[in-house]
Amino acid sequence: MAILREFFLILLLSAVGAAFSLYHGWAPLPWVEPKLAAGEIRLVDAQALDVIWLDTRPVDAFESGHIPDALFFDEADWDSSLMGLMEAWLSEPRPIVVYCGSENCGTSQRVAGRLRGALPDAEIYSLKGGWDAWAN
Amino acid sequence: MGQLSSKAYFVLLARLVLSATLLFAALPKIGDPVAFATSIEGFRLVGRQGSLWVALVLPWLELVVGMGLLIPQIRRGCGILIALLLLLFIGLHTSAWMRGLDISCGCFGQGEEPANYLWLILRNVGLLIAMIAVLIHDGRNPQRRCLKEDVPAS
Repeated sequence: MAILREFFLILLLSAVGAAFSLYHGWAPLPWVEPKLAAGEIRLVDAQALDVIWLDTRPVDAFESGHIPDALFFDEADWDSSLMGLMEAWLSEPRPIVVYCGSENCGTSQRVAGRLRGALPDAEIYSLKGGWDAWAN
Repeated sequence: MGQLSSKAYFVLLARLVLSATLLFAALPKIGDPVAFATSIEGFRLVGRQGSLWVALVLPWLELVVGMGLLIPQIRRGCGILIALLLLLFIGLHTSAWMRGLDISCGCFGQGEEPANYLWLILRNVGLLIAMIAVLIHDGRNPQRRCLKEDVPAS
């Protein structure tokens, strides 16, 4: 019986700690389904696919680090960036995942939306959490 | 004045190493449970919500058992739970290795390299052996602490 009391105490202390994390906002509420906007994909799902990564961050951020094999996509230089993407996609059609710097950067959703118009046959997503999700 | 036998030295060292390992594993994950949840998801055994529950509770359990291993009143229960956790981790890493998953371990929080499964499994097997040795020692010496006290000759 003593061992059961030890287990109970250990589990109780762990539960108190977990409640402390929730109370202080360190952890999200696990029972609340994380929202995924239309056209978004989570990192873990994108990693399960063979995708073309499209980096829409500024060039200096791209040069200091990017997802392996990601293509740089400059929204301001749309035509030449699109040509580069089409070359990669036509040589091996795969889903395209666009990412920008963070959860709220917005560029990836905007570029993904424009790309859906330019490449209607392609499967295009924006990465939820952006580069931050990858870096973490 | 206390005096330590070589066996007691080993048990004390093993206890400290196990305790420190669990504390160092727990603290970064308590600070960033979302990153840990993402690592858990990489094992493809639980969904997003399941991984968030595990990421919420498991680091605190590691913290409690890591500290509890040094507290005589609860160290047996903590030791058993640590051994079970290590068995679980060995099973998870073996499963991920067999499935060819290219993931980070998540063992000590974020920013880790892709998992070197052989090293992870060997490390946890070593920790498990040390934990079992400590449990056996404690089972044979239920009333004694690591510090063996000199008993005055009668």
